[in-house]
Amino acid sequence: MKHTLRQVFHSSKFLVGFIIFLLILLTIWIYPFFNPGNPLEMIGVGTFARPGSYVSLYDALNTSTETLRLADADDKRLDKLLSDTDRISMLDWFDSAGVDVGDLDIEDTDTLLDLWFANYSSDLKPAGMTNAKRNYYKRLNNSLMQVRAADTLTITDVDEATGDPVTKGTVTKTDYVNIGQVANVKRLPLGTDNFGRDVLKELVSATGTSIIIGLIAGVVATLIGLTLGLLAGYVGGLADDIIMFITNIFTVIPSFVLLILISYSIGQEQRGASVVAIVIGFTSWTWTARSVRSQVISLRNRDHVNLSKLSGHSLVRIIATDILPYIASYVVMAFILQVSSGILSEAQLSLLGLGPKTTVTPTLGLMMNWAMLYSAHTNGSWWAYFPVILTITLISFSLNLMNTGLDQVFNPTLRD
Amino acid sequence: MKKILAILLALTMVVSLGAVAFADDVSELPREETLYFAGQQWGTVNTWNPIGTNQNNAMACTNQTFGSRTLMFETLYMYDFMTGNILPLLAGGDYTWSDDMTQLSFSLNPAAKWSDGTPVTAADVVRTWDISVEVGNSVGIGYGAYIDSVEADGDLGVVINAALNEAGQPINPLKVLDFLVGGFIAQAAWIDTVVERNGGDAIGILNDAADDVVWSGPYTKYFSDDQKVVLIRDDNYWGQDASLWGKLPVPKYIAHTIYADNPAGEIALKAGEVDVCQQFIGNIQNLWLEDDLPISTYYEEAPYGVCLTMPTAWYNMNLPVLAENTALRKAIALAVDYDTIIANAMTNQSPSFGEVPRSLMNPTAGEQALFDHDAVADLQWAGNDIDGANALLDEAGLVDTDGDGWREYNGEKISLNACCPNGWTDWQASMEVVAAAGDKIGVEITTLYPEWDIYQTVFTNPNQTEYAIYMWSPDSAAPSDPWGRVNQFMGKDFVGAENNWSGNWGQYVNEEADALIKQIPLTTDEAALIDLYTQLTEIYLTEVPSFSLMYRPSVFHAVNESVWTNFPAGDDGRGIPPADCTDGYGIAALYELELVG
Repeated sequence: MKHTLRQVFHSSKFLVGFIIFLLILLTIWIYPFFNPGNPLEMIGVGTFARPGSYVSLYDALNTSTETLRLADADDKRLDKLLSDTDRISMLDWFDSAGVDVGDLDIEDTDTLLDLWFANYSSDLKPAGMTNAKRNYYKRLNNSLMQVRAADTLTITDVDEATGDPVTKGTVTKTDYVNIGQVANVKRLPLGTDNFGRDVLKELVSATGTSIIIGLIAGVVATLIGLTLGLLAGYVGGLADDIIMFITNIFTVIPSFVLLILISYSIGQEQRGASVVAIVIGFTSWTWTARSVRSQVISLRNRDHVNLSKLSGHSLVRIIATDILPYIASYVVMAFILQVSSGILSEAQLSLLGLGPKTTVTPTLGLMMNWAMLYSAHTNGSWWAYFPVILTITLISFSLNLMNTGLDQVFNPTLRD
Repeated sequence: MKKILAILLALTMVVSLGAVAFADDVSELPREETLYFAGQQWGTVNTWNPIGTNQNNAMACTNQTFGSRTLMFETLYMYDFMTGNILPLLAGGDYTWSDDMTQLSFSLNPAAKWSDGTPVTAADVVRTWDISVEVGNSVGIGYGAYIDSVEADGDLGVVINAALNEAGQPINPLKVLDFLVGGFIAQAAWIDTVVERNGGDAIGILNDAADDVVWSGPYTKYFSDDQKVVLIRDDNYWGQDASLWGKLPVPKYIAHTIYADNPAGEIALKAGEVDVCQQFIGNIQNLWLEDDLPISTYYEEAPYGVCLTMPTAWYNMNLPVLAENTALRKAIALAVDYDTIIANAMTNQSPSFGEVPRSLMNPTAGEQALFDHDAVADLQWAGNDIDGANALLDEAGLVDTDGDGWREYNGEKISLNACCPNGWTDWQASMEVVAAAGDKIGVEITTLYPEWDIYQTVFTNPNQTEYAIYMWSPDSAAPSDPWGRVNQFMGKDFVGAENNWSGNWGQYVNEEADALIKQIPLTTDEAALIDLYTQLTEIYLTEVPSFSLMYRPSVFHAVNESVWTNFPAGDDGRGIPPADCTDGYGIAALYELELVG
């Protein structure tokens, strides 16, 4: 046993896969300590907040400031409010409104703005200008007003007694706060999803659920496959015929179709994560059964098995001590693949809206399902689905790598 | 033999090439003469029958109370849901009521002509009404209870006799007005042909393909298959007469590609292949703010459109726990975080309940003026009031007695489901938020999303106990609203009706409210009307038989100005409602479109 384990861990492929999988498990275990709470809590009001750090504006205003004179601050501010395309668009507006601009240099911000404020009016509707374009100029005008805004912003409050505004303080362009000192800063490394949930937190929790679904599905499928394979292979005769008849029927029906039909007929109310996992397990045992059977057939006439038979050992004992150990490595490898395909099946099912019921536990498939329903793929909200795909890929990659590594160790023809 | 085979093969190729060439012909309509739509037509057109049913013909045969689609067939009047005005279309001027509101009369526009050149006469209106009642199409069923008969008064004069109750009063004059803007008028001679070829069989008439139909509108059918529907302008359209539009609508073709689903239509809109899109597009502002696309909506700021209806969560009064506990109904409604629903499900394309406090009215100024805001202010709630909800439940004795974290009623855990059809994402998101609210107040609410075909049979069944909280939208706008909507919220007439698509989906009975509702149609005094609506709002907000989750437009109106421009906009002062350029008075937009550049 020790020798086998050493051999297994000498395989670089297995080791890499094992480490990746272990890291994923570690993250699932450790991350909630840093970011505790319900992963399905809707913290954001709105859909798809971008990844990044969110600083409470309210708290920032109440944080002590440092004055920093940065040479490029004004330029950056201006670039944000007035891009080069905006400048060209302003020229277009002058053109369509019939304003003679002479040889205006569009890089000359002051002159450009003077000319703009002297001529622009949101009521003006130059002929042939689309509504979309007019709205754009209105927004641009608002931006430009900010360029021209005073260097100091005044914060006012309303006096409760009189209803008059009371000046609470001012903010100047050179005021900076240290993020570390602001009372509320929320880091959302993967932004929020369509419900305003923290995607990273949800992803970690969902990965855990999906791995459990994979494990349950793997255990169920392997148990069924193993039991039927062992019985068919060892007992043979009529039992073999009957079991193989059933197995063949299940083999020819595409398992995913079966999966869809069963999930649909169970109904959403009953579809918890574990139910889905068991259903997946029930539809994916056939190949394990077939392979185990063929291996058992080749084992059953070996000398040591015959010896056990002659010694009058029971069927269960012969299978457990004389046959199982010889196919254990294969069963483990098959189990790993079942886990991997179980996770993928859940994702596929959920994408079709046939996965576990929502709101109770997050799963990787449900995250993708909601991202797709909210057109995350067309509106550029990559953070809602891409990390999920990456996680699924990583899990199956690591599991398959482990499987290949084991194969190289146990399969004599592949041994180096 | 070989020769024959070769010839056959060659023939097949020629034929298929020809077919391809023909298909190309239609798919390449001149872009600068074609206005493309999305979000109206799903699936292949069934029929072109204005007096039929189940036409699945969105562009030609859409009857709706906030304005029927009058591209091919026309109504007597056009409704403008922005102002509540009823403007003449086939009619030649305003209608008049008799003093006791039992008779409505008007005269048809003498210029109105059918596509075969014959004039539109009062006989056509009478024949259309009679056949509608006879075969039981949506007009006949919808207004049969309110209109007794339609009579001709000379060639052009039409008199509509309202149906009367035992007291000799009209049952509901408002519904008569709905007919004016909702029902298409068909030609009497054509109706006779249809009746004759179907041997008078009602089902045959309702399902008649109507390939030979005579129309009065500015467009007619040009092409239709499972890929697209195209209407072509009728250059002889009578409406170019100075008494109506004075000109023809601008686009020569109206085309609607049949998309597989909403995302497909949205992508086409972004690509400029669609000009007018009647689909909900989440975060629509990103299309111009981030993607710099020439796309705009009626208003440039949120909510971007005109909200006319309120998708509502109905409580199932067949369930004793809901029927017997007003506190529970109100507590759930108090706890729901509507701001999240509006921000998530509607991506802020709805005013919040802080901006437009809840009542029985939609957010339009006309309806908001119909009740006393101060009188109901204490009863309104903006949501997310967990403490208030908990206090209400504690006070009502609905407490957690066995310590499992969930409240009990009569010793049983209160466990409800919140349902809407699967795939209706914005509604699903709303139900998720409702479920989350239940979690916070110790009431177990789980979401359930049945497929549409199952959902529709269950929620329209008056005896169902499967769904506890479920979504459906009441009426949006019509001449008979807000009365119609209030009736849907609390009217007793719908209770127990089988296959109920009409209203009161929660089976709520309140005799007092019902009596008030019955008074409204006959009340013309403004102050008395406001008093009635205020009382009803009070009852509704106290009893909470249902609660609205958001405000929502009836039709979404997003336009891509790559080819066409001068679509109606909120600030253009033209007063054309954002009704997709096709519905009710919204069709006026078609006459003022311009090409870009």
